[in-house]
Amino acid sequence: MNFEQFLQYIFSGITNGSIYALTALGFTLVFNATQIINFSQGQMVMLGGMTAIAFHGAGVPLWACFLGAVIVVVVISMGLEHVAVRPLLSKGVLAQIIATVGASFVFETAAMIIWGRQALALPAFSGERPIGVAGATVVPQTLWVVGLTVVIVVALQIFYRRSLFGKAVRACAVNPSAARLQGISYRKVVLFSFALSGAISAAAGVMITPISFMSYSSGALLGLKGFAAATLGGLGNPVGAVAGGFVLGIVEALGVGVVSAGYKDAIAFVILLLVLFIRPVGLLGARVVTRQ
Amino acid sequence: MLKLHEVRAGYGRIEVLHGLDLTVRPGEVVTIIGANGAGKSTLLKTISGLVKPSGGSIEFAGESLASLGVEGIVSRGLVQIPEGRQLFGPLSVEENLELGAYVRRRRGRPLGEKLAWVYSLFPRLQERRRQQAGTLSGGEQQMLAIARALMAEPSLLLLDEPSMGLAPIVVRDIFATLRDLNREGLTMILVEQDARIALSLAHRGIVMERGRFALEGEARTLLEDPEVQAIYFGQRKAGNVRAMEPR
Ligand SMILES: Nc1ncnc2c1ncn2[C@@H]1O[C@H](COP(=O)(O)OP(=O)(O)OP(=O)(O)O)[C@@H](O)[C@H]1O
Ligand SMILES: [Mg+2]
Repeated sequence: MNFEQFLQYIFSGITNGSIYALTALGFTLVFNATQIINFSQGQMVMLGGMTAIAFHGAGVPLWACFLGAVIVVVVISMGLEHVAVRPLLSKGVLAQIIATVGASFVFETAAMIIWGRQALALPAFSGERPIGVAGATVVPQTLWVVGLTVVIVVALQIFYRRSLFGKAVRACAVNPSAARLQGISYRKVVLFSFALSGAISAAAGVMITPISFMSYSSGALLGLKGFAAATLGGLGNPVGAVAGGFVLGIVEALGVGVVSAGYKDAIAFVILLLVLFIRPVGLLGARVVTRQ
Repeated sequence: MLKLHEVRAGYGRIEVLHGLDLTVRPGEVVTIIGANGAGKSTLLKTISGLVKPSGGSIEFAGESLASLGVEGIVSRGLVQIPEGRQLFGPLSVEENLELGAYVRRRRGRPLGEKLAWVYSLFPRLQERRRQQAGTLSGGEQQMLAIARALMAEPSLLLLDEPSMGLAPIVVRDIFATLRDLNREGLTMILVEQDARIALSLAHRGIVMERGRFALEGEARTLLEDPEVQAIYFGQRKAGNVRAMEPR
């Protein structure tokens, strides 16, 4: 592998890594508020992409497709909270997790019925003409993906650190009953976390569709990658989720370069297993959540 | 100010509180003492809405609390400091305080003014305002728990064992602050295992046993009650904490 090729793999790794990072953030937001691992997270990403494709097919301009897809998935995610999570509150986290597994099948089947089995694409946000960088090339969509990911991550950080409601969400992650005693509505925080997680997942889905297509079944793999990234960064740690996403993306891309493209998807799985065996708290350390 | 009538509550099918009557007047400090598992914390949680009563009625400032959630109850000025402090450990001292004022984010005194007030009560907290709450010493954590509750501008404060695990000198400081707060008009229900220090602050005391009020009276009377002395000023605690002068 010469330098140009190496750079090319890094670019591709950062692009996919952005998507994994956003998906991992989706997992983290819901996990922190509820201790639930939302197994339909990947399907949210898929639904984001598919919905944008549907809007585009109806002649809607791309930016509005983006916005529309985010709104639709936010509504779906809040619906999931209402239908599958809230009613099971007293049954415990495991029942809720199983409900999200069920939801993932529902989303996948619905997508197959609506859009069929073929992979669909969306035009790139601003043209396809590659840009040369130090001998390697990137398509403009890559810049969109990475740029928007950075914007989302920074905006989230500001929200959680600076705004009172952001702090209230963090407080609920630490200790829900103490948060309620401060007058914070735990239900609102949970609903909000599902909404935000849906929005971020949808954005990821819309951004990646022009590069790698989307089909009804794409969600499972995206979900696995996102979960591996979240675990790698330490489940419940948002900074770790983002870092885990980029590490996974780059390792995966280099693995393709060094070993073979056939093993690409196995790499996430191997990393997930290695983390669970060797360092279950992830690279940056999981947030230890104790509940009263 | 607060009126409980025949209040029953518990967890699942197990009833812990077996019909309690209690009236707290404005400006009063009422202490509830009793052994482990008597139901003291359950009583406070029932008043603050964390535990739903299975019978009876609770009235605060003339309004029934039955239909209000925890948030509604806090916003009316009935604020609980839970057992074991329950701070937001990874958040900074000041963020904990800001969240204490969450319920008054739209009305009430300006945040900066309230911060200055609680920092004047507990200067140690101001020195450590950027520190993670979980890394404070036990005494500082209890101060923060009280300060956080004060940020909600309570008119009735429920305190669950504020002396737990603290050195006597720290306990004395904290109780001196509580006494000052009460002199300024803050009403309190104080749950304590340390009967001596609790009765030294309170106007009235209630001894709780297995979900019932076994004994009630003026703090001074209870302090001198031979039965109370025998049970609650036993060897275990009496030597432990130097009590304040009874009022
Ligand atoms: N969440 C819960 N679920 C089930 N039972 C509980 C729960 N919390 C308390 N109990 C039970 O209710 C009874 C009263 O507990 P409570 O915490 O009110 O006692 P307490 O008087 O505050 O004791 P302590 O002095 O040890 O704090 C105990 O028997 C306890 O086991
Ligand atoms: Mg207790």
